[in-house]
Amino acid sequence: MGFEFSVIVESLPPLLQGAKLTWYITLSGIAGGMVIGILAGLGRIAGTGHLGDAPHGAFLPLSVFTRYLAAGFVEGIRGTPIIVQAMFLYFAFPMLVKALTNIEQFRMEALTAAVITIMINAGAYIAEIVRGSVVSVHKGLVEAGLSLGISRFQLITYVIGPIAIRRMIPPLGNQFIISLKDTSLFIVIGVGELTRQGQEIMASNFRAMEIWLTVAVMYLIMTTALATALRTCEKRMKIF
Amino acid sequence: MPNIIEMKNVCKSFGETEVLHNIDFHIAEGEVVVIIGPSGSGKSTLIRCINCLEMITKGELIVDGIRIPDELTRMRQIRLEVGMVFQQFNLFPHMTALENVAFGPRKARGMRRGKAEKIALELLDKVGLSEFSDKLPGNLSGGQQQRVAIARALAVNPKVMLFDEPTSALDPEMIGEVLDVMKSIAKDSGMTMAVVTHEMGFASQVGDRLIFMDEGRIVEEGKPGEVMKKPGSDRLRDFLSHVKHH
Repeated sequence: MGFEFSVIVESLPPLLQGAKLTWYITLSGIAGGMVIGILAGLGRIAGTGHLGDAPHGAFLPLSVFTRYLAAGFVEGIRGTPIIVQAMFLYFAFPMLVKALTNIEQFRMEALTAAVITIMINAGAYIAEIVRGSVVSVHKGLVEAGLSLGISRFQLITYVIGPIAIRRMIPPLGNQFIISLKDTSLFIVIGVGELTRQGQEIMASNFRAMEIWLTVAVMYLIMTTALATALRTCEKRMKIF
Repeated sequence: MPNIIEMKNVCKSFGETEVLHNIDFHIAEGEVVVIIGPSGSGKSTLIRCINCLEMITKGELIVDGIRIPDELTRMRQIRLEVGMVFQQFNLFPHMTALENVAFGPRKARGMRRGKAEKIALELLDKVGLSEFSDKLPGNLSGGQQQRVAIARALAVNPKVMLFDEPTSALDPEMIGEVLDVMKSIAKDSGMTMAVVTHEMGFASQVGDRLIFMDEGRIVEEGKPGEVMKKPGSDRLRDFLSHVKHH
């Protein structure tokens, strides 16, 4: 049983279908993850002065609450395997909903569960990236901005944001690539993404060599595309 | 002249440690007050309290008629009227010199870009840096950066300027250029200034009043020449001898 190039050609259409789904889960997951990550990341440093909000007392209890909430989310997600999160969301969450509410026909689509899992999981890691980058912005710059009399919103938009975003790009690239590869785990909840397609084809023709090589190359192409996009982003930003 | 800044019985604590004890302090309009004292004496904290970078823990602060802590919501108004220059310059590293200076007028004063940049260019010219307007801070020397920082603070058109050890982070040969700019601001535009510094020459030439702080208290104050010639306390005498010999 030698290497048959024709096997690759034959299996290409279903594999490409799988790759398309992988790409879809990754991009929607990352987009949602960015939103969650920015909220949770900023939430973790609320009231600490890094966002120009030195605690003057008035909103202190609120910012403490926000910090604990965000920290709890990050620790909870970071501390459990993504595969368990996916299983929980797909199998256990609908039961939970049924037990707690009267919605009898509640169903969770496998694809929805996959996208939400990536959103939440990436969100927790991105929160730490956001927090780290914002905290790394020199406090003197925050004070310089405040001393000019600008609002906190302006401070975040024009001073902290642009500096922090440049520092976020390399670790974000890491996280995006990890998230893309994590989609292969959704084989366990039956999402027809690239790895599952490969598995199914392999189960019918037993051409492990050709199939897994092709699957690997397809992942490599997608991760390279992500990395290149981020590198372009980084280069476009002014170096200082 | 009326007082533009007043502190009444002000205390400031960081956690358990009180670093300013019952300070009574004022600056009249147009006055240049120089604050000296050993490190840890609370002089930086004192001027940082004026623009609310540090919040006073007790007492009352009145800046241009705005009362802290009663009118906390008007804190931004205070910051618009009080410019600050920092020891470490703190220029925005992602903006050119011109953008740094135009930033305040544009964002804090809501000016249109063209007008803000015109003001910024004039100020850069005033501090002798008009040909460096498109340089990023990383490509400027320490002295140049500090002069841009002074222009940036002036651009918002404040009534008072605070200087927190503006020459302490500079190489010796660059101190003069920064002090010259500060002198011209004080003399030409009659700016009200509070300057924390160890530059005794500047204090006696430009200062209207000298304040010596130690351990969170104002120990001595008066005309710079007189206070320096005849220090009333051992602590100031001791401090002056140390400053002069370096």
